Amino acid sequence: MKGHNFKVLLWKELLDLSRDYKTLATSLLLPLIFFPLLGFLSLALVTQQPVNIAIVDMDREELHSELLNLTFSSRDLVNKLINGLKGYGFNVYEASNSSVVYNSSIDLVIIIPKGFTFNLLSLNSTAHVEIYRRANVQASARAEAIARAIINGYSNAVSKEKVEAIIKITGLNASSTAILYPISTKLQLVTFGGREVGMEEELKGLFARVLVLALSVVITPATSFIIDGIIGERERKTIEMILSLPLPVSLIIYSKLVAATMLGLLTAIADALGFVAYIVLTTMALGGNISLPIDPILLLLHSVVAFFTILVTISIALPFITRTRGIRSASNIASGIAIIGTIVFFTGFIVDYSRLPTTIKSILYIIPYTHSILSIQYYVVGYTFQALMHLLVLVILSIVLLVFSTKILNTEKMLLAPPT
Amino acid sequence: MLNGLNNNVVIVKNLVKRYGLRIAVAGISFIISRGEIFGLIGPNGAGKTTTLRMIATLIKPDSGGIFIKNINALKDPVKARKYIGYLPEEAEVYPRLTGYEHLLFYAKLRKPDHVDETVEFGIRLSGLGKRVYDRAGDYSKGMKRRLLLAIALMTKPVLAILDEPTSGLDVYASVRVRKMIREYVRETGSSVILSSHNMLEVEYLCDRIAFISRGKIVSIGHPKEILEKYSASNLEEAFVKAVEEAGYRYEGT
Repeated sequence: MKGHNFKVLLWKELLDLSRDYKTLATSLLLPLIFFPLLGFLSLALVTQQPVNIAIVDMDREELHSELLNLTFSSRDLVNKLINGLKGYGFNVYEASNSSVVYNSSIDLVIIIPKGFTFNLLSLNSTAHVEIYRRANVQASARAEAIARAIINGYSNAVSKEKVEAIIKITGLNASSTAILYPISTKLQLVTFGGREVGMEEELKGLFARVLVLALSVVITPATSFIIDGIIGERERKTIEMILSLPLPVSLIIYSKLVAATMLGLLTAIADALGFVAYIVLTTMALGGNISLPIDPILLLLHSVVAFFTILVTISIALPFITRTRGIRSASNIASGIAIIGTIVFFTGFIVDYSRLPTTIKSILYIIPYTHSILSIQYYVVGYTFQALMHLLVLVILSIVLLVFSTKILNTEKMLLAPPT
Repeated sequence: MLNGLNNNVVIVKNLVKRYGLRIAVAGISFIISRGEIFGLIGPNGAGKTTTLRMIATLIKPDSGGIFIKNINALKDPVKARKYIGYLPEEAEVYPRLTGYEHLLFYAKLRKPDHVDETVEFGIRLSGLGKRVYDRAGDYSKGMKRRLLLAIALMTKPVLAILDEPTSGLDVYASVRVRKMIREYVRETGSSVILSSHNMLEVEYLCDRIAFISRGKIVSIGHPKEILEKYSASNLEEAFVKAVEEAGYRYEGT
C-alpha cells in the first residue's frame, strides 16, 4: 500500500514538473548548452576581438658573414611576424619609430632594435627583440604568446643554420640537432598499476574532473525544487490538502525528494552531455581528431553519485528549509548550501583528493561531498574497490540523514511558518 | 439532539492550543453526530481554523482529546484521516494539473479500490462538466473552490471538515457551494463541521452551531434555540449578546 501511495504521490510531482517548462529549461537546457555555448562564444569572441600590433624595424639591415657563408636580414623576422600574426586574424602594422608605444590603440609593439642583424649573425652575441604589451588587455597576451612562438621558431632556425655552418667549416662529424638538443625527453603515461596508457587517459582524467565540478551544478536546481515543493506549496496554499491525506508525512516528503533528485540527476546528465558536446565541437572546429574516451561505467557512476549527492544535500537542507518563513529565506539557505557545494567540488576539480594525506582526508570525510569526489576520482585512477566504498559511505550517509530529517518533521512544521 | 453514543462521529474534549504566549484555543469541547452539519461561528482570530486543523490532525493540541469514529486522532492521526475529508480556508489548486487530474490524484490515494466511481462522483459534485479536463490554473475562483470541495467530499468521508467553504466567492458561487454541501449530506449521510462568519450561510446550512470567541465556545445549540435563548432576531445579534454574556467585549479583528 505504501508503494502504491508513493507511486501516486510521485506521479503527481512528476506530472506537475513535466509541465513546468521554466524549471525544465533552467534545469536541463541550460546545463546542456552551458559548455558548448561557453566554448563557442569564447572562441567566436576572442577571434572577433580586434588586436592591433605594431612592428618597428629600427635595424633595417641585411648582413652577410663570409666565415659562416650566411646572410641574415631583420626583414626576414619582420615578414615572418607579419604573416604569422595576420594568419591569426590580428591587425598588424609596420611603424617607423618606437613612439608607437604611446599610441593607446596599439595593444602590442614589437621592436627590432639597431644591431639586431649584426648580433644575429655574431657567434658571441645575442640578438634582442623588445616587446611592449598593453597591460589588462587580455587578447594582447594571446598575441604576445603567438609572437613569441614565431620569434622562437625563427631563433631555432637561425641557430640551426649557424651550427650547420660551423660543422661544415670545422669538418666535424656532428649533427646540428645533437648539438642544439643534447637532451631529449620521452614521456610515457602510466596508471597507478604501471600500465602504459595513451593521452586519452589524461583526457579521461580531465573528463572525470569536469564530472566532479558538474556535481556543484546539480545541487542548485534540486534544492530550489524542494524549496518550491515545501515552502512554495505552503505559500501557494496547496500543501494543506495533501497533508490531510491518510499518509505519513514522511511519504509525502520522500516523493518530493525523489522528484527533486530525479530533476537533479537529469541536470547532471545534461551537464555531462554538454561537456562531451563541447569537447567534440571544439575539436571539430579546430580541425583536430581527438577521440574522447567516454567510459560508460564512469558516466553511470557519475549518475549514481549525483543522485546520492543531491539526496544528501536535500536531507541536510530539509530541516532548515521547513523552518523558514518563506521562499526568500529558504532560498538563502539553498544559496549557502550551493556555495559550500561549489567550493568543495571546485577543489575536487583542481585537487586530487585521493592523493591527499590521510590526516587531511580523515577531516574531509566529515563532509559528505568528499565521498562523492573520492568515488569518482578513485574509479578514474583504477581503484574500483575504494571508489565503491566511498559510494557506499555516501549512500549510507544519504539514507541516515534522510530518515533523520523526516523523523523531526511533522504536519504542523510543514504547514505553519515559524513565528517571527 | 445527540442520538446516543454510537451515533457520535466526533468527540472533541477540552482542546487547548497555544502559539507561544498566545492562546489560540482555550478548552473547546463538543460532539458531532452522524449526518449532522455543525457550524463554528466567530470572528477572525477566534480559533475556528486552529480547531478545525486540530480535528483534521494537522496540528497537535497542547492538551485535550479528539475521537473520530472512536479512534483517538491524537494517537493515530493517519488512521483518523481515513474518515476525514478536509477543505482548508485558503486552499489552492495546482495550476498545471487539470481538474480531472486533481480528482484522480486524490481518489487514488483515498479510495484506491474505487477510483473510477470516486472520480465520477467528484466530477458530478464539482459541476465542472467538460471544463474538468482544462488546467485548473485557468479556472475562476468559484470553479477552483468547487473543485477543492469536490475533492474533500467525493470519497464520502464520515466527517467533512470545511473551513470557510464560501470564502472569497461571489453570491452565485456561494449559493452553488452551499447547495452542493446540503445535497451532499442528504445523499451520503456524512457529518460536516464547517466554520464561517457568514451568519446567513450558517443559518441555511447548519443543524447545530457553536459561537466561538477568543478560543472558547460561548454558546452552542440549534440556531432557533440560540435565537430564542438570547431573544435575538438574527444570529448576528445573538452572537454579540452571547459574547457579552460570556464576559467579553467584542472588539473586532
